[in-house]
Amino acid sequence: MTTVLYIFSSIIMVYFFLLNSFYLFFIILSMFGLNRYKQINTFINYKDIFMMPLVKPISIIAPVYNEEKNAVESIKSLLSLEYPQYEVIVVNDGSTDQTLKKLIKAFDMKKTKWVFRKSVETKPVKSIYKSVTNPKLIVVDKLNGKKADAMNAGLNVSHYPLFCAIDGDSVLEKDALLKMVRPFLEEPEKTVAAGGIIRLSNGTKVKDGQITKINVPRNWLARFQILEYLRAFLGGRLGLSMLRSMLIVSGAFGLFRKDIVLKCGAYRAETIGEDMDLVVRMKKYLHEHKIPFRVGYIPDPICWTEAPETLRSLSNQRIRWHRGLIECLMHCKKMLFNPRYGITGLFAMPFYFIFEMIGPLIEVAGYTAFVTLVILGELNRTFALLFFLFAVVFGILLSILSVLLGEYSARKYPRLSNVFIITLFSLLENLAYRQFISIIRTKAFVDVMRGKQEWGIMDKKGFSVAKQQS
Amino acid sequence: MNTSLLIICYSLISLFFLSAGLFSFIILRRLTIQYRNIRFARKYKKIELDILNLVTFPHQELSSEIARRHQSHPKVLTKVLFDYIERIEGEGRDQLKKIFDYSIKIKCLKAIYSRRLVKRLQATHLFVVFSDPSETVHIMQLLNDKPLVRLVAVQALSRIQSPHAIAYIFQAFERDSIPNARTYINIMFTLRNKIEHHVQAYLKKPLSLEKLGMLIELVGAIPLRSLYEDIILLAQHADKEIRTKVARALGKMHISDAYDVLAQLSQDDSWIVRAQAVKSLGKLQDPRALDILTDALFSPFWHVRYNTGHSLAFMGLPGIKRLMAVAQQKKDLYASEMAVMVMDEIYYSGERDWIRL
Repeated sequence: MTTVLYIFSSIIMVYFFLLNSFYLFFIILSMFGLNRYKQINTFINYKDIFMMPLVKPISIIAPVYNEEKNAVESIKSLLSLEYPQYEVIVVNDGSTDQTLKKLIKAFDMKKTKWVFRKSVETKPVKSIYKSVTNPKLIVVDKLNGKKADAMNAGLNVSHYPLFCAIDGDSVLEKDALLKMVRPFLEEPEKTVAAGGIIRLSNGTKVKDGQITKINVPRNWLARFQILEYLRAFLGGRLGLSMLRSMLIVSGAFGLFRKDIVLKCGAYRAETIGEDMDLVVRMKKYLHEHKIPFRVGYIPDPICWTEAPETLRSLSNQRIRWHRGLIECLMHCKKMLFNPRYGITGLFAMPFYFIFEMIGPLIEVAGYTAFVTLVILGELNRTFALLFFLFAVVFGILLSILSVLLGEYSARKYPRLSNVFIITLFSLLENLAYRQFISIIRTKAFVDVMRGKQEWGIMDKKGFSVAKQQS
Repeated sequence: MNTSLLIICYSLISLFFLSAGLFSFIILRRLTIQYRNIRFARKYKKIELDILNLVTFPHQELSSEIARRHQSHPKVLTKVLFDYIERIEGEGRDQLKKIFDYSIKIKCLKAIYSRRLVKRLQATHLFVVFSDPSETVHIMQLLNDKPLVRLVAVQALSRIQSPHAIAYIFQAFERDSIPNARTYINIMFTLRNKIEHHVQAYLKKPLSLEKLGMLIELVGAIPLRSLYEDIILLAQHADKEIRTKVARALGKMHISDAYDVLAQLSQDDSWIVRAQAVKSLGKLQDPRALDILTDALFSPFWHVRYNTGHSLAFMGLPGIKRLMAVAQQKKDLYASEMAVMVMDEIYYSGERDWIRL
């Protein structure tokens, strides 16, 4: 028994050490990446992109489901974007609240007899609305079929060769599309997708569809998530993209080449993690057909989205994300450790499999083993010490470093009190929040085994609208 | 106290100091940036005053004096010049260019050949606004650089517009790979009618299909109407992509003589060519096209029907009447649906009076 526990503890130690070392490596890479990006952007005038004749028009597809609190503000932000030619397609995925009514009222939408080419099968479309006041805006009203199905419905209606997937509750920076389209201009043949940084809108003020004031939210859960987002987007994803191993272009804001997406069969309607699933299948397709490609990443805060502020919503969100990750990796398991898929098969997929997918299981097992050993009075001091150093101290160090990453990002928190709060929360994050997240992510395995397909309830507060200044 | 507890205490204390250190670092960093910004702003104001003075009373010696006076602050000087050069025209602009030449140009030319991408990129960005024919050779070299630099080099070249640069661009277009060729097309577009003779010559050269297609698209995009005869010769090309591009270019060129060629292309074997030909026929607004377009609305291909519907709408009242007739017939519901949708679109784009008619 003692030998088994010893071997098990050693595996847990190695796991925590490797996981945190990888993240430390990504954060260091990201520091260089952020610095380089800043230097590269010196003297760039994004207005020049307007003058280029070969800039491709973009269809923005925003699926909404029960987003009555945020949808109007979000769509206002989409309609005020700076870009030469684009359309906004809002897909109402069978909302049961007032989302559709609010959109119709806010944008003077009228029902049309729109005829579209059904490139992808979707749940039936009930009607298509067009805005009388803003010709760029189209609203597709369809039966509920989850986000992937809604995205496919948007793809069917879209006109343009590039499409931008965006969450219906997100707010974009005015120049977000101009920044995102740059990889497509630099390497038009190779670039198949581009993603950017998502920041949390909790605590911020929104006016006319734009973020006007950045602040740290009052809610503790949202504060922890700020750190998570900083670490994930400025640390993890930027680092992974520098290693050409990024497997997720966030569903909250990503730009894709429509032809490649359609060739891959568009979004898989049955999946719950449609953003990762699409990128992995695109990479699979491109590797199999030996087409050189690039997935761009723009380390600028260009999209703001609302984080859940209740334990129930947060749990639902994280379980859903983890279910999506498991489903996606299992769907493409053929790619794991397969040299045919280049760095994606040999590094990215194994990394996501070992550290992201089964990571929570190992973490929870580690904590359980720790507590069991304490109860049995068998706790080895060396194990306890190493566990504390690798799991907690190393974790806190990474959280602290993510605060520094936030400081280097373009739209940092303006007040020092904000930085102080985030630093404080970086110390607290690894003492309860991280363990809680690991436990709820473990539940995703149970849901996958049970074949659960529900999306989960999300309580949204809506954006704080800035007061009109006289 | 045992060693393990001691290590734990030490690590916690270290973490505390690390956080405190990080917080102090952030405060110090912000203060330093703030201080630098104040200094930058102060210097900026001084240089700005000098430059406004120079622009008001342009003087050869004054520009060299300003360049000499401020060349020890190249970043601020560059920023001021960068901010003002786009806003000022005429002699004042030339004076700013002179300051750049005296103080920063040599550093920029060196930086173009730097091994560091960031340096090359920043220098090339400056040549986008401070471009001069004498730098063509240097900037052309950057077209073989990384895509990021290439894109900026293209912008810089498009501002130069000397005959020498144009000849260079076409040679490079012929020689280089396809992704680069797209970049050259971007430059050529900005040069507009200055490239007419070159395009005419290159349309006759044995180029790859992709490059030939790009040139045809370019003729339509600018548009170069004098090359009409050269374009219609390609309407019989064996490749359907080339025929499609010819149809598109003819639509953009707005030459009424193109009707016959487009009518012929609207009966092409490939539906892609047909879809483009009907679109271009609509743009010509020739009443002779009404029958062809009405027939095309019954095509089994969605894209052909879609383009035809919009072409009929584009032709004004006679086209709308045809759309209404197709909308009312019950034989082909696909055609009827498309006609209704197009009329709906016209309604929502504010042209509702047409519908009532």
